[in-house]
Amino acid sequence: MLSWQLRQFLFALVHWVVNLLVAIQNVYSRLRIKKCILPQDEVTKSDIRVILKHLPRVTKKLKHLVILADTDKHSVSDLARMVIWSLVAGISYVSFYDSTGELKENEEKLFLEVERNKKGVPGCIKWCRKPDLNGYTNGMQAHTVYINIFSCEDGRPTVVQCIRQIAEDRVVCSRESAEYTAQEIDNILMLMYPSIPDPELVLYTGPLCCTRGLLPWQIRLTEFIQLSLDHSINIDNFIGALYRYNKCDQRFGK
Amino acid sequence: MSWVRENCVSFLELLCIKVVKTGRVPQHIAFIMDGNRRFAKKNSVDSCAGHYKGFDKLSETLKWCLDLGIPEVTVYAFSIENFKRSKEEVDGLMDLARDKFQRLMDELDQINEWGVRIHVAGRLSLLPEDLRVLVSKAMLATRYNYKLRLNIAYAYTGRDEISRAATHIVDGVKNNELSPQDIDDELVSRTLELGEAELLVRTSGEVRLSDFMLWQVSNTVLYFTDVLWPEFTVYNLLAAIIHFQRNAPPPKAVVDISETKQEFLNKMERQRWQQIEKYVSCP
Repeated sequence: MLSWQLRQFLFALVHWVVNLLVAIQNVYSRLRIKKCILPQDEVTKSDIRVILKHLPRVTKKLKHLVILADTDKHSVSDLARMVIWSLVAGISYVSFYDSTGELKENEEKLFLEVERNKKGVPGCIKWCRKPDLNGYTNGMQAHTVYINIFSCEDGRPTVVQCIRQIAEDRVVCSRESAEYTAQEIDNILMLMYPSIPDPELVLYTGPLCCTRGLLPWQIRLTEFIQLSLDHSINIDNFIGALYRYNKCDQRFGK
Repeated sequence: MSWVRENCVSFLELLCIKVVKTGRVPQHIAFIMDGNRRFAKKNSVDSCAGHYKGFDKLSETLKWCLDLGIPEVTVYAFSIENFKRSKEEVDGLMDLARDKFQRLMDELDQINEWGVRIHVAGRLSLLPEDLRVLVSKAMLATRYNYKLRLNIAYAYTGRDEISRAATHIVDGVKNNELSPQDIDDELVSRTLELGEAELLVRTSGEVRLSDFMLWQVSNTVLYFTDVLWPEFTVYNLLAAIIHFQRNAPPPKAVVDISETKQEFLNKMERQRWQQIEKYVSCP
């Protein structure tokens, strides 16, 4: 119907037009952001005011937030600020998914950056992998954020490990019928992870939404929300994402 | 309405399909067909009518996928969690499935001509007996078709699929067909009923997986769109594919597996077919 060259030409044209549209969208969003906030690497008093102002309107409980961190695109300071914002917003678990493998190595750097930003913000931050870094809680009912860093090793390989242990009879997995049920496997798999609730929200940046192997067992009901198209992280898009999460309606199959 | 619709593609649509398929096309595309009930509500018809409209859309989509040259399509038709819906709606959905699988058997010549192979993935033991017989017949009758493989996730959840795969593997070790060291990522992937999708499309604006293909999406482009499933058009599909072409990670290399594992997998496949034959012969 169409000659090969013509098809190639039209195909290239379509992609060129889409590229152009995306570029325009990027320029537009950058201009809009520049107008309202200056680039910063600290949590400011105004950030906290913004969160406290909007928080009463975000009524849906968010216990566990996962951030798909890409160290090529996000600075340690970007990630640290999100920890503080989450602390202010009352989120109990913040996990980073380390897709490049560099964040786990730089955990201390992230810790120091979080501490630098935390000054004056009430609450407590606990690092699950580094209990010795955890500050002292003086018995007050201060809000606590638990930080985890997960990598692809915590995904499929952990499930594989679990199946292997069942096969070797190193753990006992009850089996009521011919086949294991999800509940029976879940009981065993829970022992292989730190005690974390299933994440309700995953935040990612950039045009591509992909789990990259993030905790396959735990993400069945997780909402995937884009923080920004151009990988920028600021208080406005963080609040925007919480609003969008608030609108998500879980039906649990019903 | 039949399974694969003819004459549903206009000249312009076909032109657009031809242009888009000049580039990389996903080799396996998955759909979460969400929004049938919202569509029904919007158009003030009952939810069952919405589900019928949803099925019609599926048959149109199959035709588009055939034209695009996509060899594998997986759809999420019914979750184990959906059994919790009202009895009336569950019965309605089961009747829809009965009706459609019966229709499929009547139109078998057409299906075979298109080369569509039907695979129903899920915990079939949860289905009503007559429906289980029907889907088993459909799978057996289309077993040797190879142009397009249509996986229908029915009485399915991703966690349940992983748990059933774990059962097969654990039993394989117990029967000395596998050693514990054989258990790895690749073996689990191949023991699962569904393969890895390259693109997953969810309609109606929801942005979660709802327990669908949890294991298989680690490298998948997830595409969420606001359109309701019964209103999904070929242009929505093409937009998803253009998004895929712009952002997809490179395809994964095929991994060779050892003879022991291959033998185990072959045996599992044989047993699966035996089980299906058993459903048909003595329900």
